[in-house]
Amino acid sequence: MDLLAFLKTRQEQDADLFLHRMFVADQSVVLAGFKSLIDLPQTMMLLQQQARNTVASERPLFALESGIGTCIRDADERRVMEAISEGDLILLPESVPLCIRIVPVNRTLTRAIEAPTTESVLRGPISAFNEDLDTNLGILKKLVVSPRLRTRSFWMGSDVRRHAVLVYMEGRIDPALLTAITQKIESNQETDVPDLMALTRLLGFPKWTLVTRYNTTELPQNAASALSKGKAVLLLDRFPFAIVLPSLLLDMFFADNDMNFPLFYAVSFRFLRMVGVLTNVLLPGLYVALVSVNPEVLRIEIALSIAGSRSEVPYPALVETLLLLLILELTLEASIRLPKTIGPTITMVGGIILGQAVVEAKLVSNILIIILAATTIANFAVIGFHNATTVRLGKYLILFLSAVYGLMGLFVGTVVLCAYIAKVSTFGIPYVYRWRARDRNG
Amino acid sequence: MIRNLMYRIPLLLITVSAAVTLSGCWNIKDINHRSLPVIMGLQHKNGVFQVWLLLPEASEGRSNVRVVSDAGKTIEGTIDRIGKNMETRVDLLHLKVIVFGQALAEKGLGDTVSGFMRARDIPAKTLAAICDGELEPLFDRLKSSTSNNGIEAYNYFEKNAGWTPQVAQTRIWQIYRSLHSYTRDVAIPIIKPGRTTTLESTGSAVIKNGRMVARITPDETLLYNLFNGQGAQGRIEVMDHAAVQILTDRMTHQSALKEGKAVLNSRLHLKVTVLETISSPTSDRIRQELNELLTTRFQRMFRELQREEADILGVGQFFRARMSREDLRDWRSDHYPHLLINFRVDSIIENVGLLNTMGP
Repeated sequence: MDLLAFLKTRQEQDADLFLHRMFVADQSVVLAGFKSLIDLPQTMMLLQQQARNTVASERPLFALESGIGTCIRDADERRVMEAISEGDLILLPESVPLCIRIVPVNRTLTRAIEAPTTESVLRGPISAFNEDLDTNLGILKKLVVSPRLRTRSFWMGSDVRRHAVLVYMEGRIDPALLTAITQKIESNQETDVPDLMALTRLLGFPKWTLVTRYNTTELPQNAASALSKGKAVLLLDRFPFAIVLPSLLLDMFFADNDMNFPLFYAVSFRFLRMVGVLTNVLLPGLYVALVSVNPEVLRIEIALSIAGSRSEVPYPALVETLLLLLILELTLEASIRLPKTIGPTITMVGGIILGQAVVEAKLVSNILIIILAATTIANFAVIGFHNATTVRLGKYLILFLSAVYGLMGLFVGTVVLCAYIAKVSTFGIPYVYRWRARDRNG
Repeated sequence: MIRNLMYRIPLLLITVSAAVTLSGCWNIKDINHRSLPVIMGLQHKNGVFQVWLLLPEASEGRSNVRVVSDAGKTIEGTIDRIGKNMETRVDLLHLKVIVFGQALAEKGLGDTVSGFMRARDIPAKTLAAICDGELEPLFDRLKSSTSNNGIEAYNYFEKNAGWTPQVAQTRIWQIYRSLHSYTRDVAIPIIKPGRTTTLESTGSAVIKNGRMVARITPDETLLYNLFNGQGAQGRIEVMDHAAVQILTDRMTHQSALKEGKAVLNSRLHLKVTVLETISSPTSDRIRQELNELLTTRFQRMFRELQREEADILGVGQFFRARMSREDLRDWRSDHYPHLLINFRVDSIIENVGLLNTMGP
């Protein structure tokens, strides 16, 4: 019984591993598994019950058909350890050289289904994904009640293994897209996926990119509607977001939740988000261009009022803007880190004290405060935090070009951004493509 | 990939450094380091140009203006000298109104306006005005009565602010156009410091080829504006019996050449509403008097314009298709003085105001 010997030596290095000897229907067996993952008393009770049933129906206890568990063929040390680390129970009968893998009663290591914390829903289902893959899949299946739904399971990584499930709808998804995704995952299955950056690498997307090629969503309804539109959804274990492939430009503006409102409102919400993105990208650049390079574009009244508010500001407009933008970005970053209880503090410090004092101290003009406040608010009108991050960077390019070339630079910067966005594609689907749901079965 | 990067990184560096070093961005001055004159005064005396600039003082909370002036042989040179002596750069790109002295206007604005158009440091949409009398008191008045960074004078001419159709509205480019057009002259408003108001308009100057040759009254300026389709809405017309407000105006023209003589049939369609009546005249009477008044006023003005050979109404435009270019060259001297104009006014009294008590 070298397997048992191996587990015993292993136990010395891993305090969590238990080796429990017990009798199942008068047979002496050894159970092995992780204490932290398995609810042992419950599992033992279940096992005894099953064994009794098997004996009662006069079937051999450890035969395949007796249904206690699956038998691991050619059980070697690696396979056994894999099964244990995936949270299963290993049963080693002492009489027969067998290794049986049993699905145990798990400990509850997952929070309950809760409301989303990073996205909010005004109208629509409120439950959000959580860390448990099976729960997530279950929620999704509840939402997409369709015989077309397909799931494919993968284990990624060699050292640290991670379970992933690819969900799609047969007949809706473009077969080429599906093949591309599965090929990428299968050919890179040995890659560890600790974070989304690794996933990006696994899927073969470039590392240096401003645009994320996939959307993450915490809302099952978003994932469900992506599925029905023919996109693929990737669920990772211990990751409370669904990864929707591919991500397109219009996903920034079109939320599925919009369609829970009358069409007129849906359209105006989307329009508002587009305005938000434009505001965020263009406004700081526009301010610098108008204040330092092309003041002739302004109306005289506002030109004079800006000149008045800037009269004692020592820095050029670009430095002034960068200074305040830095503080704003710091505020944003800090408020993500801060515990919820101290959150309001940063609002007060950032908003009231900094905003007021920075003008009083003549470091920036008060028009700039208005402009940057509008910029920051507009930033989060887009859907999804990752999209907001994408948008955040674009404004710096435009800001610098505007500072040098004025309005001309603003336009050139816009063109450069548009060209960049137009270049991006995911599995051959351009980022600016307008996705249409279609039935590919005819 | 590495090879690609080896090319790309230097290329990127070159592009970025070129963008920074070739842009000349160190010459950019922020808005608070520029003086933005709103009004410029120009006078020509004894071979010397005198330049006044009304500069809003950019300071928070207060609105103040200051007037700087200098004299020199050329306008641009003088402005440059003012800029040299100022602590900020004088930037004419927000100049709203140029006030010419009457002497300068009578001598001719051609060179000055051409210079502005050539140098392009003054926006072509800048409004022109002519000062009745000396410029000094005008600027004194503007400085003393300002409460709004000195843009009152601009608002005086601005259509969405204080402009009324008795004041002509002519921009620098229009003067420049009239210099080079055979068939179009312009009228420039004449202003002076008002008795109780900041400014007061005393009519318009008739500018022919850049030179002031005559002046017309504010009432005639209204006709000029009507003729040019400068919607005379909201204008109150006073007669012996009533005051009416013009709601809409529309002009139709029919041009013909009869035996080499230019004939123009013009019709002014007016829709008016009655505002005020004295000893309750009938609507018909009001209409009749309005038509007569406008017709005689127009005929009088037109005769004078013909005498001065100044086509500020641009009636020559209606003959452009009927004459050769050679003929048009002599439009002002040969054809225009003999032009026969049949001017008719068709007015409709749309309503009698909120009181519906007047007879038919």
